[in-house]
Amino acid sequence: MKHMVNRYFKVWLAFFRNTLSRDMEYKTNFIFEIFIDFIYYGSLFFFFKVIFQFIDQLGDFNQDAVIIFLVTMYIADSLYVFLLGGNVFNINNNIKSGDLDFILLKPINSQFFISCRYVNTHTLISILILSVLLIKLTYSYHDNSFLIINYIFFIPSLIFGMFIFYSFEFIIASLSFWFRNFSYAGWLAGELIKYSRRPDSIYKKWFRNILFTIFPMAMICSVPSRILIFGVNIKLFFLQIFISILFLWITTLIWRRGLLRYESASS
Amino acid sequence: MYKYLSILRINWIQALEYRGNAYIGLFAIISGLFIEYQIWSLIFDSKNMATIVIEGSTDGYNFNQLIVFIFLSIIVGQLKSSWMTSSQMIVEIRQGLINKYLIRPISYFWYNFMMFIGVNSIYYIVYTLLLLLFIFIYPDMLFQNNFSIIGFFITLIISIYISYCIYFIMACFAFWFGEVRSIVVAYNLGMLMISGQYMPIRLFPKEVLNILQWTPIPYLVDFPVSIATGLVLITNSIDKIILSLFWCVVLTALSKIIYNFGIRQYEAYGQ
Repeated sequence: MKHMVNRYFKVWLAFFRNTLSRDMEYKTNFIFEIFIDFIYYGSLFFFFKVIFQFIDQLGDFNQDAVIIFLVTMYIADSLYVFLLGGNVFNINNNIKSGDLDFILLKPINSQFFISCRYVNTHTLISILILSVLLIKLTYSYHDNSFLIINYIFFIPSLIFGMFIFYSFEFIIASLSFWFRNFSYAGWLAGELIKYSRRPDSIYKKWFRNILFTIFPMAMICSVPSRILIFGVNIKLFFLQIFISILFLWITTLIWRRGLLRYESASS
Repeated sequence: MYKYLSILRINWIQALEYRGNAYIGLFAIISGLFIEYQIWSLIFDSKNMATIVIEGSTDGYNFNQLIVFIFLSIIVGQLKSSWMTSSQMIVEIRQGLINKYLIRPISYFWYNFMMFIGVNSIYYIVYTLLLLLFIFIYPDMLFQNNFSIIGFFITLIISIYISYCIYFIMACFAFWFGEVRSIVVAYNLGMLMISGQYMPIRLFPKEVLNILQWTPIPYLVDFPVSIATGLVLITNSIDKIILSLFWCVVLTALSKIIYNFGIRQYEAYGQ
């Protein structure tokens, strides 16, 4: 097991080095990619700034808590884009063109390869800046005290949230095996993920229950940010672990079922 | 003119082939509206507000009026957007694939405009049906008279044209920088908010509104929606229509100038 993890980590490092040198080929685009992140962050921040002209509290979240939620969301998003986001929607092209053959021939887990082949290196800069900002914001939110226990639970919660994010996008992208050409998968996934980009407390109770269970969008950003803002909720934390493992398992199931349908289109 | 109509027809046929796009577009509108509905109902309920102050309205907007406004803004916002045409243009410029347009008696600007209309054509049908449904549900809130219908269509056409010009200008930067899809993505993300697709720009702070008045941004979403909802009367907005047409002329000229400068840089890499 240790040997396998080591091997896959070395493969990932090779992917990282390769994509970094590719990204450096288009330096302007690399800078623009960072610029995109800040436009996106700015627009959502502005949205809530306008909302708070009319209200003091969005359910459990006051304005400061919403800012912490937003920064957590940006970090979760950047982390996902860094590790996995640049790959998932190539699945459709690979299936459509038959290029998946070349991945299946490699002596490596095909789901790992297709999910991790490209690393979005520019997001490292965003993650670094946002992490510093998050520490500063939570420090002042808790009256200048640093609650280390919250961070101990926050980091795994963020990673499990990212797995749920990945699972949804991967499952939707894998529908290409059934539809042959599902180029709108990215759009559909984006619309579904949108539910994770607002604090869970804006939704009515019945819908919140859905977001914490069968359509677990609140598990992606709301749970980690709740840990930082309100402290650890063990029940919610373990529910998040359970749901993320369940969804990851479903991705492997769908991938394997999809491969059985794959007909190597153009080869 | 006939050749451009042929391009439009081909893209129209292609768009009808891939109807899945329209279903997802429909889902995007309903889903986006549902999220906004949740936020605004929380605001109205928690403060027990009957109306909200909105720039240009003396009585303010009640909850239903605001939701109808946001609904129409999401529709107009999607109709003016283009991920596909602009991405395709950038790839063509970067990979040296525009040679075929240069040796033919065809304008690259108008060719892509017809593509833009053709690709989006499926949405025009589906969103019109959705609009009719909303008119049925909220009969007094949309298109109160014939002028607002005519005004909406005129300003919608202007909005789509202005939006296309902006995409064209951004795509032309590929002549200098190669890969510029990130600029288009940044623009699309920024415009979701700044153009008023998810929240009426009339709710923005005064200072922000004052800056936006000097740009073509209010003509992208806010102006057509304000006319359709009766917030602005077309008969009182001739000056605004003239100003939006002025933006069309300026952006067309800018598109052509940047394209002409860009084509001098073009070296058909990859061919």
